[in-house]
Amino acid sequence: MNSNEVAELLKAKVDETKIVNERCLFATSDKKRLKDILEALKSHGVTRISTITGVDNGTSVELIYHFDCKPTLLNLKIFLAKDDLSVPTIIDLFPGAILYERDIMESFGVKVEGHPDPRRLFLPDDWPEGDYPLRKDRKVPTA
Amino acid sequence: MTLIVPIGPQHPALKEPENFMFEVKGEEIVDVNIRLGYAHRGIEETLARRNYKYNIYLAERICGICNVVHSTTYCQAVEQLAGIEPPERAKYIRALIMEFERIHSHLLWLGVAAHEIGFDTLFMLAMRDREYIMDLRELISGGRVHSGTNTIGGVRRDVRREQVPVVLRGLDKLEESNKYYLKLFQNDRSIIARCANLGVLNKEDAIKYSTVGPIARASGVKWDLRVDDPYGAYPKLSFDVITEDGGDVLARGMVRLREIIESIKICRQVLKEMPNGPVRVPVDIEIPPNETVERTEAPRGELIYYLRSNGSDVPERVRVRTPTYGSFAALKSMFTGGTVAEIPIVLWSIDPCFACNDRVTLVDPKTGMVSKLTLDEIRRLRR
Repeated sequence: MNSNEVAELLKAKVDETKIVNERCLFATSDKKRLKDILEALKSHGVTRISTITGVDNGTSVELIYHFDCKPTLLNLKIFLAKDDLSVPTIIDLFPGAILYERDIMESFGVKVEGHPDPRRLFLPDDWPEGDYPLRKDRKVPTA
Repeated sequence: MTLIVPIGPQHPALKEPENFMFEVKGEEIVDVNIRLGYAHRGIEETLARRNYKYNIYLAERICGICNVVHSTTYCQAVEQLAGIEPPERAKYIRALIMEFERIHSHLLWLGVAAHEIGFDTLFMLAMRDREYIMDLRELISGGRVHSGTNTIGGVRRDVRREQVPVVLRGLDKLEESNKYYLKLFQNDRSIIARCANLGVLNKEDAIKYSTVGPIARASGVKWDLRVDDPYGAYPKLSFDVITEDGGDVLARGMVRLREIIESIKICRQVLKEMPNGPVRVPVDIEIPPNETVERTEAPRGELIYYLRSNGSDVPERVRVRTPTYGSFAALKSMFTGGTVAEIPIVLWSIDPCFACNDRVTLVDPKTGMVSKLTLDEIRRLRR
C-alpha cells in the first residue's frame, strides 16, 4: 500500500493524517480506536511492526507505533494523558511488539494492559520503582 | 524435570554482555528468556541533550561494527527534518562506505561462526580478508572502524580518482576468496553437519515476529529496505535481494555470503557511476519543529530512527531501534526443540550486536545447586 491507500483505509478511524511522501505518513488516533485500526491493517496484509516510540511532550505521553505497510511506513500516534497512562496490548495481533511494549512500560511508566510478561527489559533490577528514565518530569536522583 | 541454564551476561559466543535463560529438559531446550540492558548507555537521552552536529558522532558510536549506517540514518533524518537534499555524489559515497561496512560485518560474522563450529582455519581466513576491507575503509574515510565520514548535508571527504583502482583491486581479491567460502558453505561436510537444520525459524514465524535483515531473508522473506524503501543512491543501483528457504544457521550463513557478492557488485557500480560535483551542502542546524522517521538496511537488518525537532539546535527526542533488537522476539521459535550444545552457534547465527565471554552457570531449580562451566568445558560439551 502507498501512503494514500493507507490514509484511505484508516480515514474513519483517525483524527488527522499527515502524508510526508509516498512511502511515509503520520496518523493520530486514540486508544479506543487502536484495536479497530490494527484489525484493519491486519486484514490488509500488514504483519510487521518496526517499533514503538514513546515521547513525553510535557502534558501527555505520545506512543508512536511504526507499522511497515509494504512499503509505506505508517506512524500511528496515540496520546495518553499523564493521569491515565494505560493502553491495551497489541501483541495478540502483532506478536513482534512484545519487547517494544516492555520497553515503553519501563521508560515511560505506561501500563500496557494484558501484556503477558511485564518485567523490566533494559533497566537494572535495583532501579527504583516509579522512576521512569525518559519522562520529562523525572527528577535525577542526587548522590 | 527442567533445568535453567543461564547464558551470559558473560557468554562464549558473543563479544558483549547479555543474559539468556534457557530452560532445558535433559539436552532439549524447552524455553528461553532474555534479559537485556547490560550494555545500556542511555544514548537516546543523551542524544536529546546535545546539538545536531555532536550527535552525528554519538550516533556513530551506538555500534562499533555498523557505525556508518547509524550516522547515515541519523544524518538522513536530520536532512529530512531540515528539508535539505545532500548532493548526489555524497549519496554515492555514503552507499560505498555502507556496503564496505556490510562486507566487513558479514566477514566478521563468518570468522566468529567458523570459530564457534571449531573451524579455526576458516576463522583466520575470514579475518585476513576482513583486513582488506578494513584497509579500503581506511583509504576512503581515514578510519578503520569509525569512519567519521558523514555530516549533515553530505560527507566530509571526497573519493579521489587515484583511490578508485586501489579499491577495485581490493574488491577483486575479496570476491575471489568469498566465492571460495560460498563453495565451502555449499559443500563442506563439517560446516553442513554443524549448521544445517539448527535454529530453524520458519517463514511464518519470521513474519509473525517481525524479524529483520538476513534472519528474515534466510527464512524466505524477501524484504530489503534498499529495494523496498530505497534511500540515498540506492534507487539508482541494481543488485539482487538474496533469500534462502532453509531458515537454519546454514541458510543465514549463505544469505550473508551471497550478500557480500552483491555488495561488491554495488561498490563497483558506485565507483563507475558516481557523478562529479560537491560532496556537501551547508546546513542551518536550528531546525523548526518537525518530526521524521528514517530507516535503512543495516548489515543486520532494518535500522530505524525517529527524530523530533523543536526549533533549537538540539533535538527534542531521538528514538533508535537497532536491528538485533528487532529480531529478538523470534528467539523462542529458533531455540525451542534444539539442544544445549547448539546454543553458541545458533545465538551467533543471529549475529547479535551486543556481547560476551566464557562462562556458563548451571542451576538446578530444585536443589538450588550452582555449577559453573568454563568456555573449554562448553566447547567439549558440544563435540
